[in-house]
Amino acid sequence: MAEAVKEKISAVATVTCTIDGQQITVPRGTSVFDAAKRNGIVIPAFCNHDKLKPVGACRMCYVEIEKMPKLQVSCATMATDGMVVSTNSQQVREGRKAVIEFTLINHPLDCPTCDKGGECDLQDLTFDHGYDDSRFGFNKMRFIEEEKRATFDDLKIGPEIVLNRNRCILCYKCVRANKEAFGEYDIGAFERGDLTEINATPGGEVSNPFSGNLVEICPVGALTNSDWRYKIRVWLTKTVPSICNFSGSGTNITFYKEDHKNFLFRVTARCNDDIDDGWLSDITRYGYQIVNSESRLKTPLIKKGGKQVAASWDEALAVIKKHMGEIKDQSGGVCIGGLISPSLDNASLYSFSKLFRTIFKSNNIDFRGDYRYLPSVTDSPFTIAASQPFSISEMETSEVIITFGTDLIREHHNEYLKIRRAVNFFNATVYSVNPYAVKTADIAKSEMVYSPGTDELVINGVCLVAIEKKLVDSSAAAKLKPKISKLSLGEIAKQTGVSREQFVELAEAISSAKKISFIVGEIVARSLDRDKICAALSNMNKLFGIQDKGQLAVLARYANSKGAQKLGISATPYEIVKKELKKIWGEYPDCQPRNTDAMINLMKKEEIKGFITVGANPMRLYPDRRFASEGLEHVDFLVACDMFETETTELADVVLPLCSWAEYDGDYINLEGKVQTGKQAIKPKHESKAAFEIMELIARQFGAKLFENEQNKNGEIEKLLNLDSVLPWPDNFFEIEYEKKSSQDGYPVPLFICDDPHHSGHLTEKSPSLLNFTDSAYVELSKDLAAKIGVADGDPLRVESPVGKIVVPAKISAVLNSDVAIIPRNFSSTQTTSLLMRKKRVDSVKLTRVEE
Amino acid sequence: MILSEKTVKKIREKASKYPKRKAAILPSLTLAYKQLGYVDNEIYIEISEVINVPQLEIAEAASFYTMFPKKPRGKYLLQVCNNISCALLGADAMVDRLEEKLAIKRGETTDDGLFTLISVECLGSCCTAPMIQINDDFHENLTRKKLDKLLEGLKNGK
Repeated sequence: MAEAVKEKISAVATVTCTIDGQQITVPRGTSVFDAAKRNGIVIPAFCNHDKLKPVGACRMCYVEIEKMPKLQVSCATMATDGMVVSTNSQQVREGRKAVIEFTLINHPLDCPTCDKGGECDLQDLTFDHGYDDSRFGFNKMRFIEEEKRATFDDLKIGPEIVLNRNRCILCYKCVRANKEAFGEYDIGAFERGDLTEINATPGGEVSNPFSGNLVEICPVGALTNSDWRYKIRVWLTKTVPSICNFSGSGTNITFYKEDHKNFLFRVTARCNDDIDDGWLSDITRYGYQIVNSESRLKTPLIKKGGKQVAASWDEALAVIKKHMGEIKDQSGGVCIGGLISPSLDNASLYSFSKLFRTIFKSNNIDFRGDYRYLPSVTDSPFTIAASQPFSISEMETSEVIITFGTDLIREHHNEYLKIRRAVNFFNATVYSVNPYAVKTADIAKSEMVYSPGTDELVINGVCLVAIEKKLVDSSAAAKLKPKISKLSLGEIAKQTGVSREQFVELAEAISSAKKISFIVGEIVARSLDRDKICAALSNMNKLFGIQDKGQLAVLARYANSKGAQKLGISATPYEIVKKELKKIWGEYPDCQPRNTDAMINLMKKEEIKGFITVGANPMRLYPDRRFASEGLEHVDFLVACDMFETETTELADVVLPLCSWAEYDGDYINLEGKVQTGKQAIKPKHESKAAFEIMELIARQFGAKLFENEQNKNGEIEKLLNLDSVLPWPDNFFEIEYEKKSSQDGYPVPLFICDDPHHSGHLTEKSPSLLNFTDSAYVELSKDLAAKIGVADGDPLRVESPVGKIVVPAKISAVLNSDVAIIPRNFSSTQTTSLLMRKKRVDSVKLTRVEE
Repeated sequence: MILSEKTVKKIREKASKYPKRKAAILPSLTLAYKQLGYVDNEIYIEISEVINVPQLEIAEAASFYTMFPKKPRGKYLLQVCNNISCALLGADAMVDRLEEKLAIKRGETTDDGLFTLISVECLGSCCTAPMIQINDDFHENLTRKKLDKLLEGLKNGK
């Protein structure tokens, strides 16, 4: 358990009871079940789950308590002082036997054909505690729906979930987890008594972004998923611990593999209370399928006569040596640039940086391929905000949690679940502050929706209200006031669309909270004015002393974004990192640093002639497709390393097949700064190689070695990771200028490009299971806007911006309540980023119906 | 909307009395049932929009309570008691008679949408068995003749 939670628990009163002769002291309010479990006494149960509130549905956890005439369910009985509990008396054993017998009355004994066989709680507990016979001779009740059934009595209730109601023992774990932990309402329990059935909402299906967990927690084979069904028996597989590669939090997972086939079969949670509570998002659970994909790049490809043809590694490397060598010799290393994916491991990132900085002697590298125009400076307010420390488990004990500029269900699934837990179990108060209404605000005490592009004004508004109401230190207030009060509060309220009362509410919450977590997300990070917004946040942090009583950070989005920051993968690393690199290498290129945007710009001017992308796909993800494609098409020599053919590899002169994270050991740093290892599960597929191997091979072509040996490499990385890479906020307050951006004439609807709740980045569209949830782009809009345009759900809609045009189906959102359009960027079939302009604060579009 | 404005207004009024929105589910279902004589998924969706509770919660609650009919039924609900006293005094014959007269089986509704016939457990009127409850009213000490007259009367709108 997280330290913070432990502390909180230890602060409350305790009780001492006796369980099986052991004196046990636990906090008041602990159930007998948990008290026993914490002391190594295992009580069997079906319906109890660590992270859910107890219901006492299955009756399996019976214990005998002195002075209580009947057996009690230990999960729903709180331990009290002086209680004497026996978990294994004659009476308890008989009680359990009876429960198992009852449970099995209608449970089909189809274990040989049931997919859960071998890891089934009911199977195990029957073996341990049940009778070997049943006294109930009548026919078992059978649910069957001829018209809808898949195989036998199975019913498909979602894109991935198959339900067999006959096997269900009504522990309600799936329904409870869905409602309590995920806040989703698409699976429920209907009818009553012996007719009770679990099913999807009438007319709906179970397709929420956490639905995979329901299958994992099912104690029997009632819920199974098509991912794992009938592929292999669980005892024939081996498990390997790893971490998720699609999220910033690095949720812990277990791979199930089979050696002979060099194949991954599934992913399950590996509960780590500090990070994930054992819940996985569907992206994590089904995203692994890309590893097995048939469309993986199999060999290196070389462009010959305008066509890419298969080649050997030696040939490909020779071509790289020839062309990159020419560029380096004739124009200098500064004409070579590179972009790497922040989902790769530390070794790969560091090798990439070392290759560029010590061999090409170039400073043109970056890991942020999906952020529009980034200035090439080291300590911009945004960089400072992104370097701040953050702890996921601290959120649990925070009194107030504020989510600012983040659509959690599209960016940070895991943090969203933690916040829900904080609300459900620790009475946290959540405020959601976003430019559009988000689904995850259902747990928020209040939701503030501000007009897009006024992010910094919202923060200023909160500060101004706090100063006015004297909620903050007066000397700081006096210093800050002149810097942000160019616009009056009334004017700010008008511009942002947030009322004065809402500002007051938020300011009071922040100033009165004893412990606070302030989360800033991708909507801010991807904004053109991210520095201005973060400057406003810096003011706010100083004014309220947020970090003195909690945390405030821009959350890292990708599996190793934090690692990339710490290892100095951008053109403008932290000064301290730069200094350390100089010390390690004995040199550091003094040429001008160029981030992604600057590099692409220079490609057009033919000042960058050679370019290497590693796992990055700027063609799809760079928020201005025309700009990116003009740049990349101009590059003389483009090397692209990726797992799949992408828009970027299509343009490349040499394409190198990259390993997935399941194919080598790698260290990743999650958004808390915690280093975690993803173990190698299978051998590299086809001829693919890990990015650090590729970098080493390229270096060898130039007659150099990046690292003498493994130890050497790890040592250098270690040195960098040991640095304290938290940048300090500046001492003074920032002056926040705000210029009103009038929306472009004729393009009235603000546009947000983000991830689909079931996808992340450009790779997940290769996972068949995730495609079952969403397989193509759409434009999400509010009911009112749809009515205004005159479209119904699914109708094609023309989305036009000043620079691009796409046609996608409309999707009417249940939560949006303002005029915005949201389009996912995860599908190669739609050129979403062609709508964007790299130097625009708020992209806006025109939506028109496509006439038949 | 299937729910009338009047019903929606009543639901809103009821819902405003509860500190938790979920508590308004059963009163809302009752109001909807009073208007329509049944509830189904479309009604759940409409209620869910009015009281802002997930459709699922409403569907679950409605399915738990068997006394909410889930299908539209006739204008007159004929509930024939078939518990012991009524059974001894000829409840089955009454049901047979009704089945014959209306040309429907137990649990069915006539084509004109006028009658739905079901048999129910004891209605607490054993001393006047056999008996039938039509909508909210008891009709007791039944005979075939009385039953025919009753049906005739209902058909003619009395």
